[in-house]
Amino acid sequence: MINTLLAWRPIIDPLPMGHAASYLLLIPMALFISMAYRAVRLPTMTRYPRLVLLQAAQIIVAIAAIGIGLYVVVEVMLPIIAPMPD
Amino acid sequence: MTADHANTSHPTPHPTTPVGFNPVAGFAAIALPGLGHIVLGEHRRGVCIAIGVLGLVLTGLLVGGIDSVDRREDRVWFLGQALLGPVAFGIDYIHQNNFKAYDQDLLTRDPARALRSALPGEARGVNAEGLPVWRAAEPGDAKPSTKGVGRSNELGMLFVTIAGMLNLIVIIDAGFPGGRSVPDDEDKVGAKKSGKDDTP
Repeated sequence: MINTLLAWRPIIDPLPMGHAASYLLLIPMALFISMAYRAVRLPTMTRYPRLVLLQAAQIIVAIAAIGIGLYVVVEVMLPIIAPMPD
Repeated sequence: MTADHANTSHPTPHPTTPVGFNPVAGFAAIALPGLGHIVLGEHRRGVCIAIGVLGLVLTGLLVGGIDSVDRREDRVWFLGQALLGPVAFGIDYIHQNNFKAYDQDLLTRDPARALRSALPGEARGVNAEGLPVWRAAEPGDAKPSTKGVGRSNELGMLFVTIAGMLNLIVIIDAGFPGGRSVPDDEDKVGAKKSGKDDTP
């Protein structure tokens, strides 16, 4: 893994990351979206940092909740509703 | 009536930018994310927008590589990315001209599909007509860019496309300023709590 990362040329090559690590990209995505969106929406910038963090947290929690919900539907509910034939 | 009470019942109007169409700010916003707001005199807002939008672009390029922006092979994604303006077109220009080359076999049979990224074991060369073409790599050749595949490519394209769509909101806001005269409820409540309700 370290050798792969050392051979990585930023921007020229895709980031050599595993499937699990890709979920962490939700954090910068939510943060940058909140930064741009809140900067456009807010009438004044006095409470900007706090509202950016709040919105980023809301996005992360909402998407995590959707993920957990879909996991429950696919892994728990569907096998009960329509069990696989033996 | 105290001065404080007068302030809460008749808040001082926020010095917002004029309502209407501002073509200069609109074109500035198209030229570079956040520049439109800086032209309007809202420097902090413009810098925050630039960090947000360009941060998404940079993260997308780091994750998916320069292959995240490809007007020829990922045309539908590029429709959203193009909303970034010259930033997206500039990245695509560099990608098409500096990192792709022609497939020598396809040049005569299907020229429209001949320009492509490198396959494993290929290096960039030049043919008799001076066109960049792919040839078998030899020891000492520079390694070409790697084509993004799978989740890295999806996420890279997604980041840059989201940045483009956010930039559309930014361009509209800069071109038609004054839309922030009514604060959202959350900010109104917070501003009253902190005694900083300076919105109209």
